[in-house]
Amino acid sequence: MTASSGASQTTQGQSGPFWGRAAVRRNLNAYAFILPFMVLFAVFNIGPFFWALWLSLLRGDLVDQVKPFVGYQNYVSLTTDSITLKVFLNSLQYTVSVVPIAVVTALALAFLIGNKLVRFKDFYRAVVFFPLLASAAATAQIWSYILAPRYGVLTYLLGLVGVPEIYWLSDPDWALYGILLVEWWRGIGFHIILFLAAMLGVPEELHEAARIDGANAWQVATRVTIPLMRPVILFSVVMGTIWAFQLFDTVFVLTNGGPVHATATIVWYIYNHAFRYGQVGMAAAMGVVLLLIIMPISYVQMKVLGER
Amino acid sequence: MTPIDLRIDWRKRLRILPQAVVVYVLLALLVIIMLGPYLYIFSSSFKETYTLISIPPQIIPEQFVWDNYTYILSELPFSLWFFNTILVAVLVTVGTVLIDALAAYAFAKKEFWGRDVLFGLMLATIMIPGALLLIPAFLITNWLGLLNSYGGLIIPALANVLGVFLLRQFMQTIPEELEHAARIDGCTDFGVFWRIILPLSAPALATLSIVVFTSQWNNLVWPLVVLNDKDLYTLPLGLALLRSEFQVNYGITSAAAFLSVVPLLIVFLFLQRYFLEGLTVGAVKG
Repeated sequence: MTASSGASQTTQGQSGPFWGRAAVRRNLNAYAFILPFMVLFAVFNIGPFFWALWLSLLRGDLVDQVKPFVGYQNYVSLTTDSITLKVFLNSLQYTVSVVPIAVVTALALAFLIGNKLVRFKDFYRAVVFFPLLASAAATAQIWSYILAPRYGVLTYLLGLVGVPEIYWLSDPDWALYGILLVEWWRGIGFHIILFLAAMLGVPEELHEAARIDGANAWQVATRVTIPLMRPVILFSVVMGTIWAFQLFDTVFVLTNGGPVHATATIVWYIYNHAFRYGQVGMAAAMGVVLLLIIMPISYVQMKVLGER
Repeated sequence: MTPIDLRIDWRKRLRILPQAVVVYVLLALLVIIMLGPYLYIFSSSFKETYTLISIPPQIIPEQFVWDNYTYILSELPFSLWFFNTILVAVLVTVGTVLIDALAAYAFAKKEFWGRDVLFGLMLATIMIPGALLLIPAFLITNWLGLLNSYGGLIIPALANVLGVFLLRQFMQTIPEELEHAARIDGCTDFGVFWRIILPLSAPALATLSIVVFTSQWNNLVWPLVVLNDKDLYTLPLGLALLRSEFQVNYGITSAAAFLSVVPLLIVFLFLQRYFLEGLTVGAVKG
């Protein structure tokens, strides 16, 4: 490396042996910097990606040395497997519930914190960030106590205002919403903080102008502020959707997919089929399906990141 | 200020008072919802076992006992889990930042064959869900003989694509003149990187460190598939185990959950700015 920088300054031409040329040396030099990253990236990202595609065409468990090739059989099995449909519907129902709820409540809360009367906005920003800090496992532990029937504090508080006891995590009709509640608490800060930053970035003159034109607070919000926040709201929806479709940790710790598969999600299916039931091919096929769901949504995320 | 101004101010304040009351009541509610669960398990971690299930629930325990903490520290390998988590999170953070910074420097400041293709490829891998890579990454880790070891937790986590983006974007703003000046003074390529680029990238490095550290501290899935030995467990995995294998005792789980969160809460209070910046990288959660 020491020699190359000297060489690149003196010999700009194409003379000498291939490895001695300035352009070649400059390239090798750059490759040296990206080498550690690229090796790890190839071994743990690119390689596994293609291997996963291949695995979805095989049958066997994790320890099988030889896994027979079954073609698209795993994908066919996915359509006939009784639990697959349940898993899809769960993930879909969860995603179309949690994303709008999170985005709308976050928008309302961002307007609350962004209100001109509110001082010490940094304090509230920190407060809504706090739940983001805990691991999903810790959050699950915290909420399993709060959501517990009979002696759970939420059950008690809701009881005070006359709401009958809800078995948040053990009633098949409610369990997915129990998970949703926990995940809402855990993730809402992300959306609030993004919205708050966008909202406070809207020039004050625009608000003033709208008010002079006779708009009330609601009209200013819906006709001026929110339209200007559209790119951030889109980013929020995209990230929320990506996370929602990949829900696993909270489900794994709180309900482990139960009761009767009421909270079984796509990733829960992948984990269990690969690491519990010895059906690596089925798990990989489900992973490919997840990829096909995530890719178009994630494409927007990629564009946003690429534009920065 | 003149007295007249003050009077106008007063009238204005009186007018907005109802609105202010509503806003602050709602904010108080928000603070309770966001912090309440933390405070509740903190207080519950001092409850005696039989008061954990009392009805109505005790918001503040009648009697404070340390039993839950003594239990997790003496009967469970909790301090070991704590140590493992710190070790893995620190090593992954240092390693990732170094490896990503090296790559980001080349992508930001150098021209080489295939640069844009490689970068586009990296960008595209953002679309791949982690669950799809889980099985082959596990098989490769197994093949490398890294299962059930610190290496198996650390090495596969080191190449962080989002980190390269973040750092590259920051390094592109560093003026070329600084590099040229250093080169004229006889700095080698690595010297330029180490003495000029890295120090100037400190804010971006800090943001990335926070993002990586937090996600490692909270990572559940990878340790779950890689580790067998309970003595190698990290905190999230230990917490998941507490729920599934031990009899559910909310005093113990509350104490463990609280202890597992405290270090990040403390780091957050000091380095808030970098946490907030890291958020927009979209990598803190999930």
